[in-house]
Amino acid sequence: MEKRIAIIGYAQSRHQYDVQKTREDLVFDVAKEALANAGILREELGTVVTASTDFLDGRTISNVFLSMAVGAFLKDESKVEEDGAAALQYAMMKLMTGTYDVALVEAHTVGWQFNPHQVAAYTLDPLVDRQIGLLNDIAASAIQANMYMNKYGVSVEDLAAVSVKNLGNAANNEFAARRLPDVSVGEVLKSKLYYEPLRELMISQTADGCAVVIIASEDKVRKLGVECPVWIEGVGCCQEAYLRDRDLVSLSGLKSAAQSAYQMAGITNPFTDLDLAEVTERFAHEELLICEALGLAREGRAKELVNNGVTALGGDLPVNASGGALAADPICATGLVRVVECVRQIRGEAGTHQVPGVKRALAHGQFGLCAQKNTVLILGGE
Amino acid sequence: MFRNCAIIGCGQTKHTSRRRDVSVAELAQQAVQAALDDAGITMKDVGCVVSGNMQGFGGVAQPEQWLGDWIGCPGKPAIRIATGGTTGGSVGQGACYTVASGMYDVSIGVAWEKHSDSKEAGATTGLMHVGMGNLFHALTYGLSLRNLIATSAVGAAAGVAVYQAMFYMHRSGCKQEHLDMVAAKARRNAAKNQYAHLQWPNCRPEDIAKTETIAWPFRYGHVCPASDGASCIVVAEEKTAKRLCKQPAWFLGLASYSDEENQLQSENFGGVGVIDPSEQMGCRVSAKKAYAMAGITDPQKEIDLAEIYQPFPSQELIFSERLGLFDDGTAWRHMEKGETDINGRLPISVSGGVNATNAIGSSALQRILEAALQIQGKAGEHQVPKKVRKAVAHGWGGVTNYITCTVLGDSPR
Repeated sequence: MEKRIAIIGYAQSRHQYDVQKTREDLVFDVAKEALANAGILREELGTVVTASTDFLDGRTISNVFLSMAVGAFLKDESKVEEDGAAALQYAMMKLMTGTYDVALVEAHTVGWQFNPHQVAAYTLDPLVDRQIGLLNDIAASAIQANMYMNKYGVSVEDLAAVSVKNLGNAANNEFAARRLPDVSVGEVLKSKLYYEPLRELMISQTADGCAVVIIASEDKVRKLGVECPVWIEGVGCCQEAYLRDRDLVSLSGLKSAAQSAYQMAGITNPFTDLDLAEVTERFAHEELLICEALGLAREGRAKELVNNGVTALGGDLPVNASGGALAADPICATGLVRVVECVRQIRGEAGTHQVPGVKRALAHGQFGLCAQKNTVLILGGE
Repeated sequence: MFRNCAIIGCGQTKHTSRRRDVSVAELAQQAVQAALDDAGITMKDVGCVVSGNMQGFGGVAQPEQWLGDWIGCPGKPAIRIATGGTTGGSVGQGACYTVASGMYDVSIGVAWEKHSDSKEAGATTGLMHVGMGNLFHALTYGLSLRNLIATSAVGAAAGVAVYQAMFYMHRSGCKQEHLDMVAAKARRNAAKNQYAHLQWPNCRPEDIAKTETIAWPFRYGHVCPASDGASCIVVAEEKTAKRLCKQPAWFLGLASYSDEENQLQSENFGGVGVIDPSEQMGCRVSAKKAYAMAGITDPQKEIDLAEIYQPFPSQELIFSERLGLFDDGTAWRHMEKGETDINGRLPISVSGGVNATNAIGSSALQRILEAALQIQGKAGEHQVPKKVRKAVAHGWGGVTNYITCTVLGDSPR
């Protein structure tokens, strides 16, 4: 990579159903905390990239009132309608050109303002799928789950085991929304059924939340004397075809994104080269598909990672030590929260869910129905 | 390092008020195909797709997820950028950054709008969304009824633009007839642009003056149309650009600085601050940054052509000053003398600009595209007679607080 970029500061809000704050206040508080975390003032910022969508925010050009809340007044500013991880990649590219040397990346969703499942229905093909009215994001994912289970002989208990792991991990994460320390497979399978086989505890917990990350170029990191910068060693992103034109079971887009990121970071064997992964699993079965696409398990075998405790908090390669999206899903921010969690782990600041000795971690963000768009980032300590 | 990159292909569709022959997906696809053909490449050569439109206007959330298949997204990195009126400018700059960073060698930037898909006037202009947004905003902040009415009365783009125009006219001495001249120029120029919407050959200011006044100082003939259309640029790094294109249009400088939004903070909001919406500090600092990157010290002498985002004629005058092309308050005098005509000293918006064609999401990208066409000498009937070496493309959006400013040139940095 021509120019190295590092994360020098971060912050996230406590993700919960109703934050009792305006969108602007929520974002302002987190952005301020991130600047303090990085030890810089607003004046140092060169550019700002935000991530949110007008539909989820419930108004046109939703970033107009946010410019000042994120500190973008008379600064270069742009908004991506993507996951926060994609915003991070865009900001990183801006810094790589040398045009600016510090960037603030912000992502948020205030989930209670507008029903996110309704928004997901608006992303369907307006000419056919939306008119028929049978599909929505949960239904589409249920089809994906059934296809996966049938193809590889995965049982519904295997899916429930993912929920048990992640919601249990979330009990140690003060920022998570759904924290269930002692939940069992039986309880997951008894929760409300939405679409066979997806039940309430297998579906991500929509939350209000915000995450902010501050990145800087290598020269600036040295100049500021940052003690523990976390370097972005690799990045990759890829979009797949629309729902009806793709193989739902294999997540080939994520495979391609992961390949680019691994190549950039010089990773040949992800299972041994990575110490931790934080992935965006909007549904329990997605974590299995994602692990396979990331090359952590062979196709159809990811259930063994969960059942044998390999991806548990004390396992060889903990996945979603923070609880993941199942525990808190502030939609646009979820990918950036994964980045924040990786940074906390690498800097040894993760508190009660700290995994010892994390040097290199993978953060994954996704957007769209059945993980249509994926971004993979490889983060490493000094 | 800022890796040199250039526009090597441009594609746009015919703009009209109703493109009933195509769906929004096919509309965007037409622009992409035209741009790829112009550059002489196929989708296989493209590394990254940057796309955008005004969300909600077509009634589809995240439309690139559905129509991505039409614009070549599958299997490729794809970024959706949406920043209101500046969406197209941000998309063009995004395509530049993806290549300039060294991450991808060839990128396309595509933006579209199909206003006729949202039938309600409210959805078409965005007025309803903005008005409701104000209402909820005001409710959370606990505004009084007086302030609520005052802020909501400002309305959408036209509502802000009349205040802006009045501030400018009061300060500079510009009169309503000068706005007629700008609008007539835009429609005349558009008649020479085969893709433009409101074409009126030999339109005279007197013709515009005959239309009724709708909100002082704007007449019906001053206001931009709502168009269906799409545009696309192909951006490539230096070696590829030189190999594939005889005269690439090089990115020299770019910036998009945000200002304070000019609505709630204005004097209506209990006198917290009085903001002159024609001051446009964001535009001044964006231009300063972009010119510095491009090595331009005196824009009045060095810029050969400008494409300004002017849905309302007053904005061509305001922004040409804010971009440093004329001294403060003098743009209308230069326009009056014909300096900004197609054969003038500094031609402005010779494509007809946004005043003649406004497919909102795509409008600011079209400014970059039209500036590139002039540098490449490919503009056809509306090609300016003189050689264009450096051109500036501008976009504005939000509550008159977002700006994109892009400087293109005929040789690399």
